[in-house]
Amino acid sequence: MHIKYESFLREPLVDGEKDYHQVSEDIVRPIEQKPGRMWYVGFIFSIILLCFGIFSVTWSVYWGLGTWGVNRTIGWGWDITNFVWWIGIGHAGTLISAILLLFRQGWRTGVNRAAEAMTIFAVMCAGQFPIWHMGRVWDGFWVLPLPNTRGPLWPNFDSPLLWDVFAISTYFTVSLLFWYSGLLPDFALIRDRAKTKLRRMLYGLASFGWTGTAKSWQRMEALALVLAGLSTPLVLSVHTIVSFDFATSVIPGWHTTIFPPYFVAGAVFSGFAMVNTLLVITRKILKLEAYITIGHLEAMNKIIVLTGSIVGVAYLTELFMSWYSQAWGEMEAFKWRIVGPYWWSYWAMMTCNVVSPQLFWFKKLRRSIPFTFVMSIVVNIGMWFERFVIIATSTYRDWIPGSWAYYSPEWPEIGFYLGTFGLFFTLYFLFAKYFPVVAVHEIKFVLKTSGERYKREMLRHEDQTLEEFVHEAESMHHHEEEHAHAHH
Amino acid sequence: MSQKQYWSDLQDLRNIETKAEVSENEFREELPFDLSDSVMGATTPRRDFLKFLGFSTLAATIVSSCEMPVRKAIPYAIKPEDITPGVPNYYASTFVEGGEYCPIIIKTREGRPIKIEGNESSSITRGGTSARVQASVLSLYDKARLKHPVSGGKEVTFDAIDREIKEGIAGKSGYLVTCSIMSPSTKEVLNQFLVKNPGIKHIVYDAISYSAMLEANLACYGKKTLPTYHFDKAATIVSLDADFLGNWVAPIEFSKAYAQTRKISAKNPVLSKHYHVEPIHTITGAAADDRATCRPSEVGAVAVALYNAVVSGAAPSFKSARLNKLITSAAADLKKGNGLVVCGSNDVNVQTVINAINDKIGANGTTVNWVTTSNTWQGIDKDMLDMITAMEGGQVNVVMMHGVNPSYNHPEAKRFNAALAKVPMTISFADRLDETAQLCKYVIPDHHYLESWGDAEPKVGFYSLMQPGISPLFKTRAFQDSLMTWMDAGQTYADYWQLYWNTRMGGQANFDMALQEGVMEPETMPNGTATFAGNVAAAIAAVEGKKVASGVEVVVYQKVGIGHGGVWSNNPWLQEMPDPITRAVWDNYLCVSPKRANEMKAGIDSFNEVDYNKYVAKITGANGYAVTLPIMVVPGMHNDVVGIATGYGRHTNVGRAAASNDKQGGKNAFPFATINGANIEYFSGVTVVNTGEKYELAQIQTHSSYENRPVVHEYTLEEFKKDPHGLQKERGVEIGHYTEKPWHEGHHGEAVVDPEMEEGFRKEGTLYPDHPYEGIKWGMSIDLNTCTGCGACVIGCVAENNISVVGKYHALRGHEMHWIRIDRYFSGMPEDPDTIQTVFQPMLCQHCDNAPCENVCPVSATNHSSEGLNQMAYNRCIGTKYCANNCPYKVRHFNWMDWNGADAFADNIFEDGRRDDINDDLTRMVLNPDVTVRSRGVMEKCTFCVQRLQEAKLTAKKAGRPMKDGEARTACQQSCPSDCITFGNVNDKESEIYKIRREEQIERTFYVLEHIHVLPNINYLSKIRNTDEIVAGNEKKDGMYAEHI
Repeated sequence: MHIKYESFLREPLVDGEKDYHQVSEDIVRPIEQKPGRMWYVGFIFSIILLCFGIFSVTWSVYWGLGTWGVNRTIGWGWDITNFVWWIGIGHAGTLISAILLLFRQGWRTGVNRAAEAMTIFAVMCAGQFPIWHMGRVWDGFWVLPLPNTRGPLWPNFDSPLLWDVFAISTYFTVSLLFWYSGLLPDFALIRDRAKTKLRRMLYGLASFGWTGTAKSWQRMEALALVLAGLSTPLVLSVHTIVSFDFATSVIPGWHTTIFPPYFVAGAVFSGFAMVNTLLVITRKILKLEAYITIGHLEAMNKIIVLTGSIVGVAYLTELFMSWYSQAWGEMEAFKWRIVGPYWWSYWAMMTCNVVSPQLFWFKKLRRSIPFTFVMSIVVNIGMWFERFVIIATSTYRDWIPGSWAYYSPEWPEIGFYLGTFGLFFTLYFLFAKYFPVVAVHEIKFVLKTSGERYKREMLRHEDQTLEEFVHEAESMHHHEEEHAHAHH
Repeated sequence: MSQKQYWSDLQDLRNIETKAEVSENEFREELPFDLSDSVMGATTPRRDFLKFLGFSTLAATIVSSCEMPVRKAIPYAIKPEDITPGVPNYYASTFVEGGEYCPIIIKTREGRPIKIEGNESSSITRGGTSARVQASVLSLYDKARLKHPVSGGKEVTFDAIDREIKEGIAGKSGYLVTCSIMSPSTKEVLNQFLVKNPGIKHIVYDAISYSAMLEANLACYGKKTLPTYHFDKAATIVSLDADFLGNWVAPIEFSKAYAQTRKISAKNPVLSKHYHVEPIHTITGAAADDRATCRPSEVGAVAVALYNAVVSGAAPSFKSARLNKLITSAAADLKKGNGLVVCGSNDVNVQTVINAINDKIGANGTTVNWVTTSNTWQGIDKDMLDMITAMEGGQVNVVMMHGVNPSYNHPEAKRFNAALAKVPMTISFADRLDETAQLCKYVIPDHHYLESWGDAEPKVGFYSLMQPGISPLFKTRAFQDSLMTWMDAGQTYADYWQLYWNTRMGGQANFDMALQEGVMEPETMPNGTATFAGNVAAAIAAVEGKKVASGVEVVVYQKVGIGHGGVWSNNPWLQEMPDPITRAVWDNYLCVSPKRANEMKAGIDSFNEVDYNKYVAKITGANGYAVTLPIMVVPGMHNDVVGIATGYGRHTNVGRAAASNDKQGGKNAFPFATINGANIEYFSGVTVVNTGEKYELAQIQTHSSYENRPVVHEYTLEEFKKDPHGLQKERGVEIGHYTEKPWHEGHHGEAVVDPEMEEGFRKEGTLYPDHPYEGIKWGMSIDLNTCTGCGACVIGCVAENNISVVGKYHALRGHEMHWIRIDRYFSGMPEDPDTIQTVFQPMLCQHCDNAPCENVCPVSATNHSSEGLNQMAYNRCIGTKYCANNCPYKVRHFNWMDWNGADAFADNIFEDGRRDDINDDLTRMVLNPDVTVRSRGVMEKCTFCVQRLQEAKLTAKKAGRPMKDGEARTACQQSCPSDCITFGNVNDKESEIYKIRREEQIERTFYVLEHIHVLPNINYLSKIRNTDEIVAGNEKKDGMYAEHI
């Protein structure tokens, strides 16, 4: 017998009268149609941003990093702020697909594909900054432990920056594999539905010859679990290691043992906000409201309020520790962070990250799409400021007052940042057009338990007595067996 | 077409069918890869194939990318006798610029001078130098120098103009105007020339004049000369507006001597007492124990008050209580003996009063030497004014000018220019088309001093020879040669000079020895007094009769770097040297006290201090001269006084670095100077208004309080005497807990840190094992008490280590490259200039043994040597800037742009009009070939002059003996005129550095940021001020700290 029963306390994950075919239709349709006008507008705008970013980077590489506003005292500015910001955003996808998979959270199915895509694109954006912020980027490959004729000369395994190289490249590779293995059945679906030869060929190639046999499904599920197991520690390790860049230093405001959990929580916080930003738009434009439901958004918002509170506690802990340490360097660093010339960045961070997410305690606001959208932007502004506060407002007034300075970005730095938005959205628009933005096979997996229509069918079991239910179940079982015999 | 088949031999005929196959396989060779049936099973599988592919691609890439064309390396066809490539030659010579004097050693490499060192044989300067002396080598390669004689804007030959000039001056009347001339042989030539041309009168004009002192000394002592001041013998020094450590008379000599009275240790806790009264804030004021301010027009009144206090004990009655107190206690101290009063005023009456005080306190013959007098400055203002009047009257036919630039720096420049136009024959010997030379008919450029033969007699009986380090670069001619040509002397000045000294010294051997030594001096300096015969009463009456101004007064002052202008204005090294007090580069500005700035709504606070857009003030003088300049807030300025530095507002022809326009280059301050009777006074009444406009002003340091952090340690002399271990106790609070393992009975809390505990902290302050240094271990000690902030070390380092000039635009964005900077901290109440106490702290790479920069570099580009050096492998650096972020001292400098054309891109060199000439083929001759020119994108920082350390070690090794202390010296150490820096091997128990740290100065030794356990190899010695109170860190008395500015 196969009763797909799920508590009615849980709201449906797929709204409306959907069956398997309708799910395929709804999700694959945007791929098979010509994109709408909004898609073109957005895509071209993204390309323009990307080109401006490439121009800005070319300019900085050609003329030198003196075209940036960073200086003797503040060696890292927007570059590393943006790096950490993007890497943080890149945490949501893997968290959703890996950790929530391990925890058997059915609601992840609606959002995981887009979230993972976002992760990969965000990590690609993040990776640009440590690369192009190098003074001699053409020698940047020296950070790789490659066999070489220079001695041989190896990288410095003591350097957290080197750990970053390993952490991020590993994370990127695993995330990409995870994402792509999940895409195989959906690519095969598109291939099988394809009406043009070219599409059939390309999606055929992309699906690696997926046949949909039970063995294929079993292997894919196993792979998903293995990769989920692999990525789970990575979700935690990447930002932990990024935080080591600062935590292992001697600069007050950086030298903080609380950083690893604080960074991870902040990363999940900003990642979920970014997922919300994208999904609110995607579900509207691609008409996927039935699959990315308000329930999904609410679940995301709950995690936002949780992680937002964690970072809030982290901020307060930092302040407490700086006072409790009675170390002048620590106390002064936090004082200047809060009341120095950069006071506005600290307070922007506090408002956006600690105060405003608390509004999500109200269910009405959690389920409001406009509010969710606005909050998702606010949170990411706040998280950008968090990174700026940590990076720039720790160094700007550090140990020796004689070298205190100030920093504001120059146009190539801003252009570089905009360029990564261009890269991100260019990729995202391509993804939205050519890839199924919701995992079709995973939706189908939960459809009969969590689809609105099927849940409604289960409703009559609620009124049955135990005997009636057992009787019906047994007869169904019997019927099924007969059915099976008939086939043989 | 028939298919005829041809055969070549019978075999061929028989096998016609197989022929094709055979010929095809004629040259067949087995390929190295076995591609038969199973590839993986073959002897050379796919894996190997990929290896081969990878190897050949890599090999091809490496081979094709190795080629680095060598440019412009021309070997000697015939090696010059005394030039060995790679080995420097040293020549003793003399730096002379007007009355500025410094015996030097020229270091030449492959025939070109690259570095100037002080000549330690001189008993006057004792090896000291100044920023200007250090930078003078760059002026040799100045692109703006004239490359040939000029007449009417066109190149001419000496032959052509010599005839014209000879005819033009023959029998004519006129003037030969020179700067102060210390050279006895030149004076001899001059005399001969004047004898031949009796119509020509020689007058001396100095841009910054000491005329009043000369005149007062003539009146008081019958000697129209400056005495020698013995600061080293003075127990009490009173300076009234005399910046004797920065610019006044002979700062190198005075710094050396002064430093001797400022050295202190717990065993010998004695300091001189230095009282200072000045209208603006100079480095001498910063060094003073007690400092008060007055108006520039009030200096005379202060002198009189001091005189009265000395003579009768009369209490002064100035508005400032601190000034009154200062005068009273100064007078009391002066009377104890060994006093010395100096004054920067250019008013004869004031200088007469000063002479009277020195006479009363018995300074003459002890601290003021009237026997060995100084020849440094000789200019008489009145002579110049008379000449202008004569020119205006049309009585002057000839004017020849050597080393002077009145069109730029005379207060009556307008009158001078108009009058000069009336002179038919005008000749300038300027090295460039400066403001005056442009107006002259003939410009016959003189050699640079590094191309010249010559001599100097800075003090009576003290001689110093000048020999060239290079033959003249351009078609220039010695000033003396010009004169000798025009008087048909029949020989060159060089020959004349050689003969002159041969004769005086009695033979070639003596002469050679003297030339090698550089200086010829008596064993001891004769000292003696002179009888004072001045009319004090009249002088006092005259001073008192002069009205003290009531409005705002401007002081025309000299920066330590740029001085009066001259060639220094076009010296990018000096332009980029931060002014010690304002820490600004590349511009002049209006120095204003914080109080006045607030009144003008241009004040600074903790928030806007970092904004480089400064308000612009309009300054209008009484004579109608008006300029606009950015407002620079300088604590310690008298509230009714503003200051403008000289040397700016230069003409384009002076050079690109000097050229002034609306965006850069500042304004000329000299027109604000006035004529008081027959003397120039470097101040006047002005009106100052804030225009509300903004101007970008590049400051290297924007925060002025050290925030009561243990970065600087200051004590009063009393505190130090009472508790010499105070600093050790403070250190104990920071590190005491970590000097023993936690479970040991250890030194805690109240510990007095001693060298043994330092060792304990080194080992126990970390989880990691200690790294032993068994051979050499380099260390440096910097004495904050003797550092005057003069900047000689900064420029010494620039010259030695090829430090890039970045220009104003990048300087204001915090991209400067100096490996050593001198942090300047103010404390006291900003609104009360008399409370301001100023300290300087040279800050450079601390060569930490537990360096935070080293472990964060992903490619190990910065690492530690076995001798304790934190070293940079530029080639390995990829420029992540992580090390700079993690440097607690912020002494690592990134090459933000291609400053020198040293990177892989051909045409991306950073251009900034003011620094461009630094990359000219000519200017590059100044580069030190022993030090890499860093390319764009790499980090750099102080190396402790590792090239010098290597040289010293190798010299000792070649001689087969251990290296001696003092053989390896860093450039900053060597250039310092105050001997603040000690450097050496701390493992050598005989070394000075060891003795300082472990024996003599244990009480004063501290390490900046010691508690973070980075284990710096540089220690500092605390600042001890001979005053009542240190205000720094006192919430009530240190407004700079309380307001965080």
